[in-house]
Amino acid sequence: MADSIVLKPQFDDAEQERVASDLGIWVFLATEILFFGALFAAYTITRIRYPEAFAVASRLTNITLGSINTGVLLTSSLTMALGVRSAKLGARTALIGWMCVTVVLGIAFLAIKSTEYYLDYTGHLVPALDFAHAGVHSGPIEIFFYMYFFMTGVHSIHMLVAICLVCVLIAMAWRRSFSPEYFTPVELGGLYWHLVDIVWIFLYPLLYLVSRS
Amino acid sequence: MIRHPVAATRTYVLVWVVLMILLTLTLGSAYIPLGSLNTVINLGIAVAKALLVMLFFMHLRSGHPVLRIFASAGFFWLALLIGLSLTDFLTR
Repeated sequence: MADSIVLKPQFDDAEQERVASDLGIWVFLATEILFFGALFAAYTITRIRYPEAFAVASRLTNITLGSINTGVLLTSSLTMALGVRSAKLGARTALIGWMCVTVVLGIAFLAIKSTEYYLDYTGHLVPALDFAHAGVHSGPIEIFFYMYFFMTGVHSIHMLVAICLVCVLIAMAWRRSFSPEYFTPVELGGLYWHLVDIVWIFLYPLLYLVSRS
Repeated sequence: MIRHPVAATRTYVLVWVVLMILLTLTLGSAYIPLGSLNTVINLGIAVAKALLVMLFFMHLRSGHPVLRIFASAGFFWLALLIGLSLTDFLTR
């Protein structure tokens, strides 16, 4: 297997190539942090401007489904980490197994999120479509839900991309593309998956837990 | 043959258990009326969860030091983005 690894000419050895790939993906992840960061900045400013409206609006989100989804995503990060670990050890069957569990959990997240969107729709919480809320704060509450749908929507698109990436990794593992010497795509796919998880870790308290007491 | 450092399965499971405990804490604390302290607790727990994921699942703890610098750079610029924006909005 080791003979099949072709080192790209700009690298001295496989280890240097691996660190360079890690560094590359971390530069990309930093741009992702700033991409979502702009949304978090907009959220912070709007929340400071309309604290009461955000408190009311947050109580309208579905805390049960939101919390379950957080658990699902955190668990998917565990299975992904165990998958990367299997790849390092060259345990192909375990790698494929953990990746499949990760994909199932990712799809479960999107299914729960879709259910939640449907319930939001029937609850007249979708801005611009049929948003209806009686009360003094209805304007800023609608702004909250613009942010809620945009932030969770962009996050869900990231989830979809991550699920597709893991499916590709499963296919590559199936074709025996990885070995204990070469598992870079698995590691990079894992890093992306975890970043999408981290974005949700922050979305959860900011959207669902603003004021529950 | 290169031997890559591999963490024990137990470590990953332990991190997951802590993440789940933190999730329960953040959810539970949200129902206790503490005023603005609620937001502080929620964000503090979110930061703790993110750090656990980055240090253990994303291997920043065992990885090359330059990776930690690049990861920190993302959050540094994010802090500037939010911090400098607030110097305007908090002083109007």
